[in-house]
Amino acid sequence: MLWVDKYRPKTLDQVIVHQDIALNLKKLVTEQDCPHLLFYGPSGSGKKTLIMALLRQVFGPGAEKVKVENRTWKIDAGSRTIDLELTTLSSANHVELSPSDVGFQDRYIVQEIIKEMAKNRPIDTKGKRGYKVLVLNEVDKLSREAQHSLRRTMEKYSTSCRLILCCNSSSKVIEAIRSRCLNVRINAPTEEQIVKVLEFIGKKEGLQLPSGFAARISEKSNRSLRRAILSFETCRVQQYPFTSNQAIPPMDWEEYVSEIASDIMKEQSPKRLFQVRGKLYELLTNCIPPEIVLKRLLYELLKRLDAELKHEICHWAAYYEHRMRLGQKAIFHLEAFVAKFMSIYKGFLITTFG
Amino acid sequence: MYLSPKNFPPKTQCTATYHFFITHSKEKKRKEKTLLKTQKNHRWTWITTFLSPKNSNRWKPTPTSTTTKNITSDLDLPEQDPPDSPPSTDPQINAQNKRPRSECTDSPFDDSELPSDEKRSRIVDVEEKEEEEDRHRYSPPPEVEQEEVRVVEEENILSRYAFQIDGECMPVTAPDGDRVYAKISRFETEERLKNLNFKTHSNGLILEPVNVLLEKLEQDAFTKALNSSSEGQSDTSLPEKQVVHEQLWVDKYSPNSFTELLSDEQTNREVLLWLKQWDSRVFGSEIRTTSDEVLSALKRHSSVVQHQKSNNSNLPRNNWGHKWSNGNFRHSNNSENEHSNSKGIQDLWNKKIRLSGPPEQKILLLCGPPGLGKTTLAHVAAKHCGYRVVEINASDDRSASNIETKILDVVQMNSVMADARPKCLVIDEIDGALGDGKGAVEVILKMVSDESKNDIGKDNIAKEEQSGKTSSKKRRKTTSLSRPVICICNDLYAPALRPLRQIAKVHIFIQPTVCRVVNRLKYICNKEGMKTSSIALTALAEYTECDIRSCLNTLQFLNKKKETLNVLEISSQVVGRKDMSRSAFDIWKEIFQKRKMKRPRKSSNSRGNTSDEFESLHALISYRGDHNTILDGIHENILQLQYHDPVMQKTVKCLDCLGVSDLMHQYVMRTQKMAVLVYQPSLAITVHRLVAQIQKANIEWPKSYQRYRTILMGKMDIFKSWHFKIPPYISRHLSTKSFVEELISPLLHILSPPTLRPVALHILSEKEKNDMAQLVRAMVAYCITYKNMRFDPLPNNLGHEVAQEASALSFDPPISDFVNFKGYLSGHYELSLAMKQVLVHEVEKQRIMQVSIGKSLHLTNGQKENHDLMGKGSSRAESTTIGHSAACVPDMRGDAKNVFNPRQCNPSTHTVVSTLDSSRSASTSMKLKFSGDKKKPSNGSANFFDRFRKLSGKDSQNTDAAVQKATVERDSLPLLFKFNEGFTNAVKRPVRMREFLL
Repeated sequence: MLWVDKYRPKTLDQVIVHQDIALNLKKLVTEQDCPHLLFYGPSGSGKKTLIMALLRQVFGPGAEKVKVENRTWKIDAGSRTIDLELTTLSSANHVELSPSDVGFQDRYIVQEIIKEMAKNRPIDTKGKRGYKVLVLNEVDKLSREAQHSLRRTMEKYSTSCRLILCCNSSSKVIEAIRSRCLNVRINAPTEEQIVKVLEFIGKKEGLQLPSGFAARISEKSNRSLRRAILSFETCRVQQYPFTSNQAIPPMDWEEYVSEIASDIMKEQSPKRLFQVRGKLYELLTNCIPPEIVLKRLLYELLKRLDAELKHEICHWAAYYEHRMRLGQKAIFHLEAFVAKFMSIYKGFLITTFG
Repeated sequence: MYLSPKNFPPKTQCTATYHFFITHSKEKKRKEKTLLKTQKNHRWTWITTFLSPKNSNRWKPTPTSTTTKNITSDLDLPEQDPPDSPPSTDPQINAQNKRPRSECTDSPFDDSELPSDEKRSRIVDVEEKEEEEDRHRYSPPPEVEQEEVRVVEEENILSRYAFQIDGECMPVTAPDGDRVYAKISRFETEERLKNLNFKTHSNGLILEPVNVLLEKLEQDAFTKALNSSSEGQSDTSLPEKQVVHEQLWVDKYSPNSFTELLSDEQTNREVLLWLKQWDSRVFGSEIRTTSDEVLSALKRHSSVVQHQKSNNSNLPRNNWGHKWSNGNFRHSNNSENEHSNSKGIQDLWNKKIRLSGPPEQKILLLCGPPGLGKTTLAHVAAKHCGYRVVEINASDDRSASNIETKILDVVQMNSVMADARPKCLVIDEIDGALGDGKGAVEVILKMVSDESKNDIGKDNIAKEEQSGKTSSKKRRKTTSLSRPVICICNDLYAPALRPLRQIAKVHIFIQPTVCRVVNRLKYICNKEGMKTSSIALTALAEYTECDIRSCLNTLQFLNKKKETLNVLEISSQVVGRKDMSRSAFDIWKEIFQKRKMKRPRKSSNSRGNTSDEFESLHALISYRGDHNTILDGIHENILQLQYHDPVMQKTVKCLDCLGVSDLMHQYVMRTQKMAVLVYQPSLAITVHRLVAQIQKANIEWPKSYQRYRTILMGKMDIFKSWHFKIPPYISRHLSTKSFVEELISPLLHILSPPTLRPVALHILSEKEKNDMAQLVRAMVAYCITYKNMRFDPLPNNLGHEVAQEASALSFDPPISDFVNFKGYLSGHYELSLAMKQVLVHEVEKQRIMQVSIGKSLHLTNGQKENHDLMGKGSSRAESTTIGHSAACVPDMRGDAKNVFNPRQCNPSTHTVVSTLDSSRSASTSMKLKFSGDKKKPSNGSANFFDRFRKLSGKDSQNTDAAVQKATVERDSLPLLFKFNEGFTNAVKRPVRMREFLL
């Protein structure tokens, strides 16, 4: 298996990056009853890892024995029955699911399935904890209705059930839910922390790390630990005795975005925009979220841009990203951003160079 | 038969006459009362020849009945009604009075039976020539003639020739135009009549003499007949007074005959021809008998009977005969057969009909914009060909279940009621509602497909058809299509009609020429006494795009308001503009293309022009309604336009508009506030104002967004199914986003390390072996293997294909696709083929080892993983096997995953199969059988691994693995074979497992 998985901390004690949080969590679950929890933070920061370590802390190693279930739920919604297919990971004491998978019908998941799960109190054997845990992923992607129907469930069944919610941004979780949970912000690890982790892995693997190499990797990793470890392993695979100036293989999609950016810089015309559209589509078809594309594109463009324009371009990027989130067809807004950039840039070129 | 006045009970007559009068207005009732009084004394009756459905219009003097009189004779004189008695009664009438003719049609019976045309034909004067024609046309069967002679000899009461009757006579016209002369006999009442006359005058019971009254009545009836009929022929005189009409002009002046159709001549004819092709099927052999008749009639017809109109008699075949002789059908489909035409053509025609079966395409699909007369054409043509039209339109319940019985009823059954004409099904507005129309379409399609299946039995059906109702029951079970079906739609390209379009004969209606429409409008206006100018009418016709229905409605409306039509009014809001949706392409064209200034009037006023343009575009887009598609189309095509845009400001604005429309759409979808959609067209118009060019744009249908969606879905599916296979301790940390964003590129690098030398395994150094082991572990953990992507059609000659076959080894699941951007060269190192093959094998081995470890030793790691896998497997048994059957088709051997998983997840099957194995070894015969089947694939896989043996040199292990794999592979697909010993009726041949599985 990959290093990412191999060196993932399994208990709260093993955690390197968010040690303080881990300690707090440990105290929380050992000393008193665990409240509902809401973990939020950027991807690759270790939310899931912490949650799993927490569960292990609470339920012991039994929490790691999970089974995957892909069940179809039949739900009576008034006059019709709705079939919902949902994959759950469950152990004896907890269930993991991502209700947002079912899309706009997530309300039913929350209202029926989660309620059902929450109701059933686990059999209290051998003096173990008398509650079960529901881990809900991607809560921020839940619809408003679903979130609202979650509130009552959280209160009503709190004796037998704890919810651990996990999301990227707490701003999309309604206030009511946030107030019912203990919010745990997991920030992205700092570069030093990443370096520490990489060095730890290097030591375990028995590798010679040239000075500054780990720093370079962590610098390129956008403060995502997962990415850093993956890049590290990639480097290891490609060329073992590391050299300090060894090339760190980039992400393919980022390369592609950078190509797009240079395309845009080279020529500003509807025709070029059409070509760019094709490339943007290409990115989107490969499941890359449009927000990330836009963000990366902005990053690449800013790198090549005159300082004078940076502010304006950032403004427009934010403007179009906002519209993109409101709207449905991401390509319209991505393209609009590119067109706007082209227009501004061309105007700038004309005024500067005549 | 003569009626003696004594026998005539006044009461009955009263009721009969009452029937006749009931339709008249009140003032007439007054008259009626007086009239009745007189009639009591006069005792007259009218005769009509009654047409039984069998007889049609061929003259038959046998059982006839009169309308008024029949009742009386039934009551009083049953003995006077022998079957061969001549069909006449004697009207007793004032001697000097001219007999009112048209009364006979006014009996209720006649009204229901007779079309209006018929009545017009009553005006026919008594002419010798015509008389003769009649005789020839209805050349009666010989025995009838005899009878007739007899009749003539006896009394000469009833004859075709006036001269044969001595004394006074009156012409009597049958509903179908037959004309005979009946003698008017007065008996024993001469003086009494005189007295009566005298009395009436003296008593002053009625102010006017009876004859005057009668004449008035006749006049009224005539007027009524005219009104209810179409505008008729030009030579019919207009009624003097306007009758207050409740009727819409559209109905009132709708064409009743084929000639009056306004629609395109070509289309009309083709529709008629198509209907005619059904004749052999529908009417069977009746054609022959008619043709004789027709011929004989034709021969004798040298001149045209001006006022004779064909009418729908009960049997259409004879009706057909009428048409030949009828000069009015100049424009009918077979107009080449004018009277001057000789027998030759006639024969040819008949032959043609007889030979040609029902038309190739069983369904006729008429399509075109509303108001051009599609429905009218269908009705008129069907009626013309002697069908009874049964219409199913949008107002009926058209759900699939209901419509089926309805259609079958129409298409396969004959009516036992009075109207025995075969039916013709007209399904109107078939495209109307998608769900509704679909039911009908499906039923029709089913029938047509059934039809084509039992095409052989066509003749039988035809025969049965003609033999009538008795046999019809037998073949009701087959849902064959034995009646013409005409479908009418507005939008030919409605999705519901797609299948129908392929099998139906499609006629697209085009607009009739403006002058044709205007002519008709003018004519109608004249008739209605409305003053119009032809300029205004032309403008109206143009404005409504030759929609005659809307023209007529408009005119009637204006007429009601006592207004005249002027040109200016049309463009104002008085006249409703037709709500017509255009195709999306038209709309895009309108958006991207600037209209050329057509009229100087408009261009002179630039502001008016733009507002005009705005309105027309707005209307166009709103009518279309499908804003999403429209805007997608704009998005798709806008960048291909050639517009002047130095700093791309226009482009930015356009794309902003598109963005706004997207936001709006999303908002509407979320909040269901459809009212907001109103603002969508204006966005498109903004785009139009920005980028519209004079030159023609090359517009494409917006496909890219849909393509993007489908590809995205496909990739998501790949990811999901893969994600599902990965053990949960990895997969739970992996979302789609993080996968594509962070994992995939490094993973690909890691999976194909350039440092791994493509050499035999035993040559590798210790370190390299470690690397290799790690790689294999990673691949196993992520459930990745290599798979032969190509399906090899010839698995036999493995030796030749090895090189090509193996070259296609690629990742399974195809994760490398996720970085496969168009026009982008990823720097991923590709492992050599040999290496890949080694890896496939190693991964496989690793998996098997893990399983065995998981089974025997309970190592923490292995146990956990295995546990996961087991748990996963049992819950997913279904899905995996499905995945397998799909995956194993391309190549079973190369697919290590296939081998692995089922064994994993389903240990029970394993045992089952092993027991099956033992039982198999017991039975030799079975062995014989199965060795052919089963050994071969396993041999094949052994061979497959032999290739590695040379390469890797790990002989023992390999064979082990190979054998293991072979068994696993066999067991992976739990199949039960039943073998019946001693029974064979086939040639034995080796069969591959694959062929069973397919």
